[in-house]
Amino acid sequence: MTLLRQYLRALLNARKLLIYTFLLSFGLMIYTPFLIIVFRSVGRGWFGRMWLPPEYTLDWYRWAIEVTDIPGITVNTLIIAALAVIMATVIGIPTGWAFGRRRIPGKELLMAMILLPRMIPPIAFALGVAQIFYRLQLIDTHFGVALAHVAVCAPYAILVLSATFEGLDERVLEAAAVCGANTLRSFFHIVLPLIFPGILSSMIFTFTTSYNEFTLTLMTYGKDTVTLPVRTYLAIGEGYWEVTSAMSILLIIPSLVVLFMIQRQVAPEKLVGGFKGV
Amino acid sequence: MPDYMIELRNVTKRYGDVIANDNVTLKILRGELMTLLGPSGCGKTTALRCITGHNIPDEGEVWIDGRDVTNVPTHKRELGMVFQNFALFPHMTVFANVEFPLMIRRMDKDERRERVMEALRLIRMEKYERHYPRQVSGGQQQRVGLARALVYRPKVLLLDEPLSNLDAKLREEMRFEIRDLIDRLGITAVYVTHDQAEALALSDRVAVMNTGHIEQVGTPSEIYDYPQSRFVADFIGLSDFIEATVSSVDRAAGMGVVRANGLDIEIPAPPSLSTGERVLVFVRPNDVDLLPGSSRGGTNVFPGEVGKVTYLGDRNDYRIVVGEGLELRVQTDGKERFHEGEPVKVRLPATHCRVIPD
Repeated sequence: MTLLRQYLRALLNARKLLIYTFLLSFGLMIYTPFLIIVFRSVGRGWFGRMWLPPEYTLDWYRWAIEVTDIPGITVNTLIIAALAVIMATVIGIPTGWAFGRRRIPGKELLMAMILLPRMIPPIAFALGVAQIFYRLQLIDTHFGVALAHVAVCAPYAILVLSATFEGLDERVLEAAAVCGANTLRSFFHIVLPLIFPGILSSMIFTFTTSYNEFTLTLMTYGKDTVTLPVRTYLAIGEGYWEVTSAMSILLIIPSLVVLFMIQRQVAPEKLVGGFKGV
Repeated sequence: MPDYMIELRNVTKRYGDVIANDNVTLKILRGELMTLLGPSGCGKTTALRCITGHNIPDEGEVWIDGRDVTNVPTHKRELGMVFQNFALFPHMTVFANVEFPLMIRRMDKDERRERVMEALRLIRMEKYERHYPRQVSGGQQQRVGLARALVYRPKVLLLDEPLSNLDAKLREEMRFEIRDLIDRLGITAVYVTHDQAEALALSDRVAVMNTGHIEQVGTPSEIYDYPQSRFVADFIGLSDFIEATVSSVDRAAGMGVVRANGLDIEIPAPPSLSTGERVLVFVRPNDVDLLPGSSRGGTNVFPGEVGKVTYLGDRNDYRIVVGEGLELRVQTDGKERFHEGEPVKVRLPATHCRVIPD
């Protein structure tokens, strides 16, 4: 009996050990490439079988900023992302309103069509976009690159905003009217605060999508519209691994800022809908 | 001329081919609690929405406080309303919710605070002023809804099934709380519900609605004791219906005799009743007496046989077959027990039998 109990306990401990081993290797698998980039971006003379770089330096960052014109490229990327966000939001608000609040025949089919650009392999889609853009001379313009991004940003915006507007309870608006609020005051006091988190999260989603977009940019960019992901890709070709790593780290910063914003500002419970008793 | 606070004058409202309100005329006195009662889809909510201005009638007029408001938008009608789903503003605290109508009216900040706290004290929610609606219970949310509706002292309070989303026990408590509050404030109120018990307990007068028109308007006891149509009798409380033909009328005594299923039933005769007419006689199951089979006969006493018996705790529910296959539902206070198949005698007290035009 005691033997059996000991055996079971050993098995249990072994299982715990197995689980922790598995979790650790899983974590290593995800974070090791990232750690290598971090060390490479600050290390000098890191070759061969060394575990850690022998020397640390910030030179690669200086290189990245000076030689490859990171500030200019960042401005490009931000302009394009801002344009894409504006266009996607301008498209997303009325479309999301229609999807969320009106009865449309064939709504599911229409939604599927809107989401289609996200389903097609980006490279196939980008080829078609490039062909049209060359004809229209939209290649190598901020507007053109942003417009290409809208094809993948707008579906996100429409999806998020239609859910937001759907969650806006008609009877809450009726209650505001009974309380004496006219359309304008009802909009500013009730509608706007309720849909604002949704609009904000839609903008954050579209911003990150555009900011990180690679394939569509690759097919539509020119010398004046190089973006960070494209420049990083080009830097790999140039063979300076350390500079490329530094650029990758710089590329990550805005994403981390946005991620932080999402977690702090757009608390899910602040979104409309889903509160007790409804 | 009576002092009407709200008047619907020949209001008709259509949704496509569906007529939701068909020529509805309803006059509500100042300070009275009027209930619109009916099954879902009977048009009671449509009628309420015509009063609030969320619906504009296709035909007819809506008057509030002596003014034609048919085309006045909702926010200018000076109403208070309580919603079935509470419809509180989820992004505002309890305090801000109640303050909203005062803020819209640009009231002075100190006075606003005073009025809101007074309203919150009235509903015993002053401790929750900083809570958000989702942080308080359903019953508390509805009390906040009530405070928001009453805080700026509107002329009229409208309640659209305010208790339907609450559980049974709370519903009964809140019923009295609402009635008490309305009495204290002396406000005119329109209460929409499909719950007949709620309507009878709360109202000064009840308007029973069916398929877009008003079947009957009256005090709860008028509606319960003297229903004017089969629908009203059937919808409110339990009913036994007996289809009968008038065999004789004694005008001097105000009584008549009708024949149904081989039984001669004595009934109080309305003046218009004439011999040979087909009528519908109805009686409440708890007004029917059940006697042992051995008891003596008499007026309106008929032998019968016990069918299905259902025990309801405070009552027993029997199906009794009398005459030629007439099944009556009878409810007794449960002191005596009869068993299935037992011969019994049924007495239909003449004063409790009513004639409804068929």
